[in-house]
Amino acid sequence: MTAIKIVNLGRNFTTTTGTIRRTRKDITALEDVNLDIEPGELFGLLGPNGAGKTTLTRILSTVLLPSSGRAEVLGMDVVKHTKQLRPRIGMVFGGERGLYWRLSGRDNIQYFADLYLVPPEVSRKRIPELLELVGLTDRADERVEGYSRGMKQKLHIARGLINDPDVLFLDEPTIGLDPIAARELRTVILEMHKRGKTIFLTSHYMYEVDELCQRVAVVNKGKIALIDTPSAFKKMVANLEVVEIECREAHPEALSRLRAHPRVESVTMENREGAQALQIQAPGGVESIPEFLRILEGSQVQKVITRQPTLEDAYVKLLGKEALNS
Amino acid sequence: MINRLRSLMRVIAGSFTMQAKERATNQFFVGTLFILPIIFTLLSVGTYLYGGKGNFGLFAVIGAGMMGVWNTNLWTSGRIVEGERRGGTLSMLIASPTPFPIILVGKSLSNAFASLISLVVTFATGLIAFRLELDIANPVAFIISLLLTLISMTCFGLVLGSAFVLTRNAGDFMEAANYPIFILSGLMFPLTILPTWLKPLSSILAPTWGNLALGASAGLIADNPWVIDLYLIGLSLAYLLIARVLFKQVEFLVRRDGSMEVF
Repeated sequence: MTAIKIVNLGRNFTTTTGTIRRTRKDITALEDVNLDIEPGELFGLLGPNGAGKTTLTRILSTVLLPSSGRAEVLGMDVVKHTKQLRPRIGMVFGGERGLYWRLSGRDNIQYFADLYLVPPEVSRKRIPELLELVGLTDRADERVEGYSRGMKQKLHIARGLINDPDVLFLDEPTIGLDPIAARELRTVILEMHKRGKTIFLTSHYMYEVDELCQRVAVVNKGKIALIDTPSAFKKMVANLEVVEIECREAHPEALSRLRAHPRVESVTMENREGAQALQIQAPGGVESIPEFLRILEGSQVQKVITRQPTLEDAYVKLLGKEALNS
Repeated sequence: MINRLRSLMRVIAGSFTMQAKERATNQFFVGTLFILPIIFTLLSVGTYLYGGKGNFGLFAVIGAGMMGVWNTNLWTSGRIVEGERRGGTLSMLIASPTPFPIILVGKSLSNAFASLISLVVTFATGLIAFRLELDIANPVAFIISLLLTLISMTCFGLVLGSAFVLTRNAGDFMEAANYPIFILSGLMFPLTILPTWLKPLSSILAPTWGNLALGASAGLIADNPWVIDLYLIGLSLAYLLIARVLFKQVEFLVRRDGSMEVF
């Protein structure tokens, strides 16, 4: 039996515009999604903002209904068998909401232990274990309103595990965390995976999915664009080299010329503390560096490095410019 | 079956405690618990005394007490749903294995018990500010009527709370409904002055019957308090049934429309 089975799943939302004359508009959040996830798998769902990651997570965790198709978790239909399914799944949605800020961390977990019908003799043992797992033991009796964002996120995870779920849904659990807090949280996720949990993780951090997941699906505009292992995904760009050029002032005209270069597959740009970092994907990129620098003449180039392609490069290649807007 | 019942009782107790802890940290709520009953009593009893109807003092105190109970219990229930939605916990509660109305029972009962404080403040204000003689004709019937009133209002809160899941303005609706409910339930003025066409609406509201039961056991009206108590029990059961049916439909609608997290 698969842990999660999704067949031709679709979900539309209706939005309205205007105050007096209201116009209704249907938006497709998910379209014809098919997916099988094995028990004990750590599965990653990647995609830009608005791709449908959160919608899919909410459907699987019984918060939303699908508009078409069907989804099963642990062999149970997410629409019809919610009563049997809910005690066996856990969900962790990213962000600071979803906790009782005026209560202590321990009170929050205790309350959800009650809601998930965890027997008192079990919760008495499990709550300290979970607090220990996420490193909140020392602060457990303080009000949540005094917690940092990372601590709140850890509390979310502890709360999501209170019923010892077979399947755990993690929706962007490290979003907005500093690098150290994010790394600590990834360690917790790996620990849960070691304990045999099936984990469905959404993220738009490529390195996170690369580090954690056994398989990854890329979702874009509500459709699954690819499902594979991170290493197979990276092979898509195995023949590429990535040249990173940092400059003070890259002219739009120079960027257009770079993109039009016959060896270049894609150019992305991000702002880094007053400088602009160009990532140029090109087979045989090293030999082309002199040509790239000629094109960028007058752009005050500060640094040039080459590196092997990462999952992020594969993602950029697959989704193109849209990925950059995420 | 027994285990399931025990688990649900634990949820009710957990929600009760959790609500009490949250309430204790809310200075506004603590303020309304003590200050509003005093204002209601001064207004209500003062109106009757100024109108030369001194013998209506106890009636006014009971009415003011019920207004305090309503305010603490049902008005807060509206705020509970709105607060859960804003805090992002509503979807967590609804997607938990416990039916949402059971969670609401614990929270509403917690508020109902807190509302007893406002009732005590009301009676104390009547005694101290107006030197009223609060002679209760049948104290046993009065206490039982009071408990049944609290239970009935809690059950009424379940119906409203379930419906409030559909809207992001639950608290505003309750605020707007405050005075119409006070008037329709006979808490501000005697029910006899209401137009006939409004009386069916009055008769389905828990505060109406709670007020009558307390009035009858205090000896203010000639009716038999035990008969009104039976009506309160029937009304509570009807509310429970309506809440159960209503919430199934409400859960379907919020999952279909994706409105649980919109605020």
